[in-house]
Parts: sequence; C-alpha cells; structure tokens
Amino acid sequence: MAIIKYTPNLSLCGGSAPAPAAPQASASATPSVELHVCMGLNACKGHDRNGTNNCAGTGYCATAQQHNCQTLNNCRGQGGCGLYGDIEQQGNPGNNECAWQGSCAVPIQAERFRTLGPERGKSVWLQARKLFEQRMHKAKRNYGASPFKCGPPQNWLISVLGSYDSCGNSGDKVCSFGFNDPDDNAKKLCEGEKE
Amino acid sequence: MSQNKFFAKGGDTVTPENLGEAIQQAIEIEIATIPVYLYTYYSINRSPDQDAISGSLVQKLVAKGKKAKEASAIALDLSAELMVFSNKAGALIMSVAIEEMLHMALSSNLKQALAGLPELVGKSPSVWPTCLPGHVPPFNIDRAKLSQEQLMTFLKIESPDPLPDPKLLQVIEYTTIGKFYEMIVECIDKNDLKYRTFLPQLIEGKGYYAQNNIDTVYYDKEHKPHFTNQDDSGDLVYIKDKASAIKAITCIVEQGEGNKAPGLNPDGSVNCSGVVPGDFDDPSKKELSHFAKFVQIYCTYRTLNAKFQSLDIGINDINEYFVVNIAKNPLTRDYPANIAPVSDLLNAVYTYIFVMVEDCYLKSGNTQWEIFMFGIHKSMIFILNSICGDIMKLTYTAPDGEVYSAAPTFEDYPFGLLSSPKSQMIDLFNAAVAVYPTISYLGQRIQDLPDVPLHN
Repeated sequence: MAIIKYTPNLSLCGGSAPAPAAPQASASATPSVELHVCMGLNACKGHDRNGTNNCAGTGYCATAQQHNCQTLNNCRGQGGCGLYGDIEQQGNPGNNECAWQGSCAVPIQAERFRTLGPERGKSVWLQARKLFEQRMHKAKRNYGASPFKCGPPQNWLISVLGSYDSCGNSGDKVCSFGFNDPDDNAKKLCEGEKE
Repeated sequence: MSQNKFFAKGGDTVTPENLGEAIQQAIEIEIATIPVYLYTYYSINRSPDQDAISGSLVQKLVAKGKKAKEASAIALDLSAELMVFSNKAGALIMSVAIEEMLHMALSSNLKQALAGLPELVGKSPSVWPTCLPGHVPPFNIDRAKLSQEQLMTFLKIESPDPLPDPKLLQVIEYTTIGKFYEMIVECIDKNDLKYRTFLPQLIEGKGYYAQNNIDTVYYDKEHKPHFTNQDDSGDLVYIKDKASAIKAITCIVEQGEGNKAPGLNPDGSVNCSGVVPGDFDDPSKKELSHFAKFVQIYCTYRTLNAKFQSLDIGINDINEYFVVNIAKNPLTRDYPANIAPVSDLLNAVYTYIFVMVEDCYLKSGNTQWEIFMFGIHKSMIFILNSICGDIMKLTYTAPDGEVYSAAPTFEDYPFGLLSSPKSQMIDLFNAAVAVYPTISYLGQRIQDLPDVPLHN
C-alpha cells in the first residue's frame, strides 16, 4: 500500500534545519557517472546506462533517471524538455539549472519536437545533441557519432526499456492515419526540417 | 442556477469605489469557465482506435450495399477525418482553457495592483448548471461532454455580440465579457488611480506561462502537427500603470472575442461561412479567438455529422466514436464509495492550485518562483491531469440507471483550518489509494508539493 506521511516543510526551504546525521559512509565513495538525458549525450567513456560505450557521444542511453513529464527530473541537467515549458526551457534539453526544471520526459525520443518559439516543430534531440557538441568543442574533446543519427526512435526505446512514454495527450507522434509515411516524417525531422 | 450581482455598492458602471469588486467579479468569470472547458475536454478521447472505427464503418457500408473496396476507401477517409477532428477539438479546447488561466492571472494582477489581494479559493461554481456572474441575459452552463449543444454554450460564453434576448437588454448589466471589461477600462482610463507596484504579481519573462504545449497540438490527415496558439498572442503583464492595465485587459478581450468580429447570427445560430480578419487575436493573424475556435469545432462537427447521416448507416452523432459517456453535472456525493475518495483527492489538488496561486500574490522572488514552477506546474500538468485520466477508467451506475464513466467534477474542496491543506491532501491521497491503488504512483509527487497555507 502506498501510504505517505505528511512532513512539514519537506519540499521547499523553511522550518527548522534537520539534525545532522552521523557519518556512515565509507571513506572512499563509489565513483559515479555523469548524469545525462539521452543516447549520444555522454561526455565520457563508460558513461551510458550500460557502461559499455567507448567514447564521448556514443552512449546508448541516459544515465539520468527515466521520467515522463515536466518537473519530474531529479537535478541539474537531468530534464528532457520540449513539449511543455517556455521557449528558454525548450531550447535547453538536458541543460536545465536545477531539479524539477526540466520540461519533459527522459530519455528524449527522436520524434519529439518543440512546441514554442522560432524553432517550433524542430527536433528536441537534435537540439540536445547540438548543445552537447558545443560543450565538447569548448572542452577540446573529441566525440563519436550517436548510435542513431537523430536520437532513439520511440519504438526502439519501448523495445529496450520495456515501456516508454512522454507526457501529453495529443496522440501518437509516430503513427499514420493512412495518408502519410511515418518513416518519411521521421526522416524530415531528422534532416532538421520542421514537423 | 446561481446568479451573482457583481456591484455590491450599486450602479451599473465601474467606479474607483467599486473597481476592486468589479475586478474580483472578472476573476470569478474567468474561473467559472475553467471547470466547464476542462470537463468537456476530458470527455474527448483524442486518440480513438482508427482500426475499430474503420472496421465498423466498412461493415455498415457493406450492409448498405457498397462493395468492399469502395466501403474500405470511404471508411479510411472518414475514420481519418474523425481522428483529426477528435484531436483537433481537444487541442482547441485546451488552448482556450490555457488562455482562461492566463486571463485569471491577468485579472488577479489587476486586482493586486489596484485594489487588494485576489480571491481565488472557493470561487469555482458550486451549483450546476451555473451561469457567468452578472451576465445578462443569464444562461445555463453545464459541465457536460462534447456535443453540439455544449459547443453552443461555449459560443455564448465567448460571444462578442450580446446574446439575442431583447427584452433583457433593457436592464443591461453586461451583455458580453468584452463589454464588462470595457467598463473596467473606462474607469482605469478616466481616473488617476494609484498602482501598488510594491506587491508581488505573476509577471512575464519568468517561465510561468507558455502559449503552446503538446496538449494544444493536433495532427492533420497527413500527420503534420498544428499549433493552435501563437507565441505573440498574449502573455502575463506586470500591471504598473494605466498602459499596462489596459494592455492586460485588451489581451483578455481579444483572445476571447477576437477583434470586432461578428458573433452569433441574429437568430442565435452559428455562422459557418468562414474565418474573417476579426476572428484572429494576435498580430501575426494566425491564432483564432476563443469564439472563432469554437465556431470552427462546431461547424466541422456539423459537417461531419451531415456526412455520416448522408450515408444512412445509423450514425446520428459522431461523438459516439470518440466521446466518453460521462454524466451531466455530476457531484462527488453522487459517486459510489470506490470513486468518491478519488474524486475528493482530485478536487483537493484542483483547489490547491488556487491556494498556491493566491500564495504567489504574497510571495516574491525565488519563493514565488518555486511555488509556481514546482507546485502549480507539477499539480496542473502532471498530478491533476493524471488523476483526471485515471478516474475516467472507473464506471458507476447513476440514479437514472445508466452506466457512466466517472469524471473530474472540479469542485472546490473545503480545506479545514486545523491543519495545512497539504497535510489534508495527503490524508485524501491515502484514502483514495486505499480504494484505487492504480494512483499509488502519485504519492511521491504529492509529497513533493510545496506546503502552502490558506489565506483569504
């Protein structure tokens, strides 16, 4: 049973400070990986969900916790962005400043597009990759190609993760009503065209 | 029906003396529309099963003598039209609901700057059918599923012209929402009012408001996304002087009624002859006003209905393909014991959003930002939307003997004063999850919400 208990001032600042806990951790901490939001956005070797990638930009999946909507990311740089939020948020997938500031699901499926601003209709994953590549250039690091050129397709995510969903009620982002070819739509989004 | 008079101090004009009450009435007009639009929105299945629709149509068409190939072609075409229409109707109604929330915030900014703390909690209509406070003539507003009749109500709410009822126009109070706001503008324009700029408001540039999100998007027949709102159609406004006050009101009126566009026909029917320039509410002329959006849904609905009726296959209303059968104006007390606790929780989350918005008018800086972004956004977009979806998976038999899906009732939850609203909401969650474990995933998200007290 998922009973929860009320604790005053649990979520935001305010109230009395918690009593310091006795140190229990061992002297050497387990090295952690950098948390990032999707395929092809890892900065280091071994920093994807499987820990098997051999260089920056080639990882298969996010190390940040999977989630499906706005305000559900745990911390800085762990929000997906794209379907909710303002123009600034939507331009910064995987680059949010703090917990709960991401505006969409992690990981970012290839079919996701932005809903605001001059880049409205364009791929969110390509924007995330662009920000990643800019960061690598600034850090003077080489990086490899993403396993999927334009990010992980939703069907692939479902096959790998068991289930996958990003928020919103506007319907299937991939399907056809019988009058278009979904692969052609995906190709155009991948080539940088607006949906 | 409830009918409130909005000038407690008498008169049929807005004066500096009753300005605060008039703006409060404006806030309550905006609030009254939100549960109505949201209720109808949630009745729409935006992604119906096209294969099932198409298959059913083929069977009916073949039974009427069509050859299988021809029947399949007609069914594919019509089912695709239904897929687009259901999604588009949902997107357009949501795009309006979002702007009504913006209008509530703009009116609240106005009140904060010119009169006093806006009152939001406990201001949702408590009696259904309801009516717009002060509207002449009064007309019934139901929480009802999508239908032609419900769309007519929407059109009356947003009508840019007075509703046809000449005998009542003799005792005019306000006949359109736009005319009501005009009275406020006149008062603001003619008087040298003091603007209390030292108090917090919900202002632009902080990420509080986004014109579009994925729920305001629909796909056309070729599955291309369309965005129903535009970036330039309006935003929050910091009310600091006469010009900013008038700018905020202009946004409210133009988003609702357009720019001097004609309303309903003189006989009260809908003019489906096409969009005119006045139907748009934004400088780029790409976003339709609320009234024009509802005209578009109404007219497409009518055309599609006619198309189906002409096939003579027993379909009188296309809503049977994509509208959930929910009751008209249900109350939580009508629900059985396995649904009522879930409805109580839903209403508590709904009411808590207003509690948090009120708190934003008392807090500034990062505290206000955290309440808005982590409290209001999380409640609205994730928690409330999720419970609305979950409760509709439950069914019950109503006193009329019909089986309905449960629906979000959007009633103000009466938070008590002995403990914080959040602690009461957690108790409600625990009671709800005990009868409906499906919602257990929401526990941590409710736990994450800021702890905000009642004010007014």
